[in-house]
Amino acid sequence: MPFRWVKSPFPKGTYYFSGNEAAAEGAIAAGCRFYAGYPITPSSELMERIAVRLKEVGGVFIQMEDEIASISATIGASWAGAKAMTATSGPGFSLMQESIGYAAFTETPCVIVDVQRAGPCTGQATKVGSGDIMQAKWGSHGDYQVIALSPWSSQEMYDLTLRAFNLSEQYRVPAMVMADEAVGHLRETIRVAPRVEVWDRKKKKGGAPFDIEGEDGVPPMAAFGEGERLSVTGSTHDAYGFRKTDDPEVHARLVGRINQKILNHKRSIIETEDYLLEDAEVALIAYGFTARTSLYAVKRLRKEGQKIGMLRLKTLWPFSDERVAEVGKKVKRIMVPEMNLGQVAGEVKRCVVCDVISLSQTNGEVIGPELLIETLKKI
Amino acid sequence: MTEIKQVRLSGFGGQGVVLAGLLLGQAGVFDGKYISGSNSYGAQARGSGCKSEIVFSDGPVDFPHLTIADILIAMSRGAYDNYCTDVRTESGLILYDQGFVTPKDNLKVKHLGIPANEVSVKRLKNKQVSNIVFLGALIEATRIVSAGAIRKAISMHVSERFRSLNLKALQAGMELGREFNG
Amino acid sequence: MVRALEKYIRPGVKATPFCPGCGHGILMGLILRAIDDLKMDMKKMLFVSGIGCAAWIPSPHYNGDTLHTLHGRALAFATGAKLYNPDLCVMVVSGDGDLSSIGGNHLIHAARRNIDLKVICANNMIYGMTGGQVASTTPRGSKTSTTGEGNPFRPFDLCKLVEGAGATYVARFSVTQPVSLIDSIKKAILHVGFSFIEVLSPCPTQFGRRNRLDRPDEMMKDLIQRCILEQEAEGLTEEEKAEKIITGEFLS
Repeated sequence: MPFRWVKSPFPKGTYYFSGNEAAAEGAIAAGCRFYAGYPITPSSELMERIAVRLKEVGGVFIQMEDEIASISATIGASWAGAKAMTATSGPGFSLMQESIGYAAFTETPCVIVDVQRAGPCTGQATKVGSGDIMQAKWGSHGDYQVIALSPWSSQEMYDLTLRAFNLSEQYRVPAMVMADEAVGHLRETIRVAPRVEVWDRKKKKGGAPFDIEGEDGVPPMAAFGEGERLSVTGSTHDAYGFRKTDDPEVHARLVGRINQKILNHKRSIIETEDYLLEDAEVALIAYGFTARTSLYAVKRLRKEGQKIGMLRLKTLWPFSDERVAEVGKKVKRIMVPEMNLGQVAGEVKRCVVCDVISLSQTNGEVIGPELLIETLKKI
Repeated sequence: MTEIKQVRLSGFGGQGVVLAGLLLGQAGVFDGKYISGSNSYGAQARGSGCKSEIVFSDGPVDFPHLTIADILIAMSRGAYDNYCTDVRTESGLILYDQGFVTPKDNLKVKHLGIPANEVSVKRLKNKQVSNIVFLGALIEATRIVSAGAIRKAISMHVSERFRSLNLKALQAGMELGREFNG
Repeated sequence: MVRALEKYIRPGVKATPFCPGCGHGILMGLILRAIDDLKMDMKKMLFVSGIGCAAWIPSPHYNGDTLHTLHGRALAFATGAKLYNPDLCVMVVSGDGDLSSIGGNHLIHAARRNIDLKVICANNMIYGMTGGQVASTTPRGSKTSTTGEGNPFRPFDLCKLVEGAGATYVARFSVTQPVSLIDSIKKAILHVGFSFIEVLSPCPTQFGRRNRLDRPDEMMKDLIQRCILEQEAEGLTEEEKAEKIITGEFLS
């Protein structure tokens, strides 16, 4: 079996965690045993909690000198065999991009939680935004894939951080939890199940760590010190990690595979949720905290007789092209409310032919029900 | 129909608004409620205003921030002035510190003034516990959470050094709230 | 002295990629001699490097685990691996620009933490791979492709830098001092804590030809003449010292 069931580190029951604390717990439940990070608002509570928790479970915590060092140490620990993570916010996420590209190209499992704040630049450090969605996908140079999830509650900070680890291990890819300040600081009732499903990277003695024929496109991954004499490089490499910086075929094959191994599994990676979409004429497509506002607005407007529903994107990358296209065929209009200038709206437009309205708010505040309901009444 | 109660605790930084919100939300979780809690501090309220908002629900909460307050706790005059008009008319309730706040008489909202600061300074000899006095009065006047749950929350989140002081403050607050109820 | 070092070389690697006259190939062999002397288990050795000519010394040539990382970040990657698996003997081999310029912040912090990493900094005083630009270690006055009239700034004293930051084994030797250098590498391997060896390694292609040391043998002779031991420097005037490179163990 590629996955196993393990007992939750927390006893089954209900808890009152902030999103950031819940993400730390989700990581521990997934088997995270290494964290390297650097303080940044509004993500720091995650680091503070996991520092305590890793000590309790025998893991390693280190506060590094900056975010570049944090993600780099995370990747180093992952090759030493750890399930490893870091967390940050916009400015730190920007600094991490080169190493994220390294993780994608060397197929290193690792998890990055980005608790987004109002950018660009230092922006409003304590205020909310979701302007890092495109950066998550395109932030490093070259063509590669990542997996990015979007939690809308404290519960999902737990659930999706856990899932991010599982996906990261399963596909040997950096997985991101694209949280936002509002969800990171939201404190909610959380239910912890008695057991959790945990995936581990597959191993095969002597197996080529950087190429595989057939199967799922994900090669086995040994750890340093296991006697495999690994050669890991961020330069173009062959199946055994030898640099091949002049060989066009090796480069094309490698770039192709690290993209295809994710895109070929879109169906099992992507999760969306439908709310009252069956007879809807207008669909909201929302993610993160804004999906909470959207659900509230949908229910209110339904009471007033509007045929409106919501598609919630739990996975941002790879993008839900197919589901969005299906919704686009059924409804007359789509509105995408988001705390940026239309980063996901642009993706939606790419997938559908119906009208797509982008509702943007970039003032450091969450999109509240009133604004959304008023705007929806006007269209 | 899911019943939702929205509580806003407000004051200025240092009054323990965030801790009171944490305890109230935690108690709600102990009582089996769905809770969504959020805090804000900084420039948005005048002065160095600070607020903590808790949504109590019998089922999953759609929008987790407060949309209108069913209950407002105003620990300072600034907090009262800022938020008194955002309380649901008729059924709403405002708890305020009678030492700091002069209530407006044109609001159609029940008011309960308590001497929380005075009690904490004079009776409990610690000005830091008026937040807990407020919690005591709140639960006695509204039963929004059980006394057992809030005691459990105090023992979970308050360090041992201050636990008995906080429990005393809770008791004092409950007595003040009882006067209102009776 | 000829030794059988093939067992330390990853099967399948061919000739080294270094230019004729480069000191890195010598250093590559000297590190393996130290490892051979100590009978280190290559299966428990992890070699981490950044980007640049020196980063290719271990990767992919050494037959242990090798991690060829990003420019400047070798120490951060190494820190993560060492902390998670303390049983690994983690050696970082990289260049002066990689470790002290783009990676300078990681260098001082790794030294401050005194993490058990064995750092060998191959210092050729220039950016070799990218075409001979001025480095943080280029001597004042030296010509490079970006300082045609001579470097106006003073270079880092890398040993003083890491010692000040908290390293617990610090040494400087040249590839022209092979016996002392092997000995020093062995000490660094056995030392528990942050060990740093600055190894002077000539770059005739980029440094020499711009600074009147066109031929590899001229660069080697120059190093042999200029590298003196600490005790040899004692009687010299400041002026005389400025012409020399003081080598030795500074902290052990």
